[in-house]
Amino acid sequence: MRRPLILALLLTVAPLVSAAQELRLPNKSGSLKFAVIGDTGEPSAGQTAIAKQMVSWRGKFPFEFALMMGDNLYGSEGANDYEKKFAGPYKALLEGGLKFYAALGNHDDAAQTQYKAFNMNGQKYYTFKPQNGVRFFALDSNYVDQKQIEWLDKELAASGSDWKIAYFHHPLYSSGKTHGSAELQRSLIEPVFLKYGVNVVFTGHEHFYERIKPQKGVAYFIIGSSSKLRRGDLEKSALTVYGNDSDYAFMLVEIAGDELFFQTINDKGVTIDAGSIRRAGDVAPGKDVTTQPVVPQSKPSPVQPGPKK
Amino acid sequence: MRVTHWLVMAAFCAGCAAPGATEHPTATDAALAQSQKKTSVDPAVNPDAAALAEFKSRVDAYVDMHKTLAQGEAKPEKTTTPDKINATKTALAARVQATRVNAKQGDIFTPAVQPVFRRLLAPELKGEDGRDAKAVLKDDAPAPGTVAFKVNAKFPENQPRPTVPASLLLTLPPLPAPLEYRIVGQHLLILDTAADLVVDYILNAITT
Repeated sequence: MRRPLILALLLTVAPLVSAAQELRLPNKSGSLKFAVIGDTGEPSAGQTAIAKQMVSWRGKFPFEFALMMGDNLYGSEGANDYEKKFAGPYKALLEGGLKFYAALGNHDDAAQTQYKAFNMNGQKYYTFKPQNGVRFFALDSNYVDQKQIEWLDKELAASGSDWKIAYFHHPLYSSGKTHGSAELQRSLIEPVFLKYGVNVVFTGHEHFYERIKPQKGVAYFIIGSSSKLRRGDLEKSALTVYGNDSDYAFMLVEIAGDELFFQTINDKGVTIDAGSIRRAGDVAPGKDVTTQPVVPQSKPSPVQPGPKK
Repeated sequence: MRVTHWLVMAAFCAGCAAPGATEHPTATDAALAQSQKKTSVDPAVNPDAAALAEFKSRVDAYVDMHKTLAQGEAKPEKTTTPDKINATKTALAARVQATRVNAKQGDIFTPAVQPVFRRLLAPELKGEDGRDAKAVLKDDAPAPGTVAFKVNAKFPENQPRPTVPASLLLTLPPLPAPLEYRIVGQHLLILDTAADLVVDYILNAITT
């Protein structure tokens, strides 16, 4: 009696699990493919599982690099710590040629900028353009001074019609109970984002995943749960489109033309969020809208599971 | 207090780069605009200016010394080897400590400039924005008692680097790399981020 029941259950659940583990990005030839991880510097079962999932998913979605949202090494930063907290857990990815581009978090020593594997080129904030049409800006949100704002202004001004993607540690918008929105940084950084049409912002600091409703035309994601998890810390708010504080997670992202696709995956390989956004074209910038706003696709592509709670 | 900010920034920003290109008016924008009108460091014009000019001169001297010391095995360079990162930092810290063996609290934050910093910080920690700034300071704070307020002391490597509220950074005189301000508890310090050393500090810089 028990065996048919188990078989029936397996037949019911297996397709669901299988569907949850499907790649939901277009995976187009010539598109820009990358991963996003945050707050990764804690050796943990979650970190190991996420690294393993990244290896597995890279087999079907060949992302070229991974953005790191800071807190790359928690606690001490001796030579062994670089190995134990980064090079060891991500060994297979590093050996597979994956490049990492790090931002600094509040737990990170500035000396990390010298570490070649973080590709910071000795700078606490920097920009890079991996492919025509897309430019990234890594900021140091621990120390937002006038010099950095002027640098950002200059670099964004020179970035033309590229997709403009910023990433740094402190979230400008967040529904986290522990930290919440970094409003002081926002008051300085956001006007520059709006002026030059930054499209997408990735951050960490909060140990959960949250997709924020686009703010003034800018899409915000928090992905700070790639090695640490703060269960129950996400207090879903009017900002939240989808959030998850119960799973370790990382993101896969693909940019093809004017569309950006994302898929957020947990430590079991299950997709917890997916969708796409599209650049809507230039508008007159103001304090309430970016010059090049993004809009979520009306029919999120390909699947948008929605909140669990 | 804004007039004080302008005068402070005037002393610091005479000869600085052009004003920031952001469109929203910040205290710094105003200060930079004002700096074009008031650039005198004559104490008769502005009593704080002389103290701040002296502060800047001492900061610059520190940075010059740092550059001289950050050579050879103490020169930060990109590397694939974490051992090298730590060896460089250790060598640099040792050189700075040896060169500044007689340095003491107040060498850079002179007694004359300490009240100016207290006055600059105070208004930024009042009201709603002040509450936000205090929340930031508390949020990323190192554990109590872990930071040694001692010139040439190492910043504890297993503690978070406290985030400095952006509003305060716009108010304080800018520091050249590798120096940065940090606020720990009520105290303001200057950190050499390349050597991870406390350069100088003001106890109870925050009085509100």
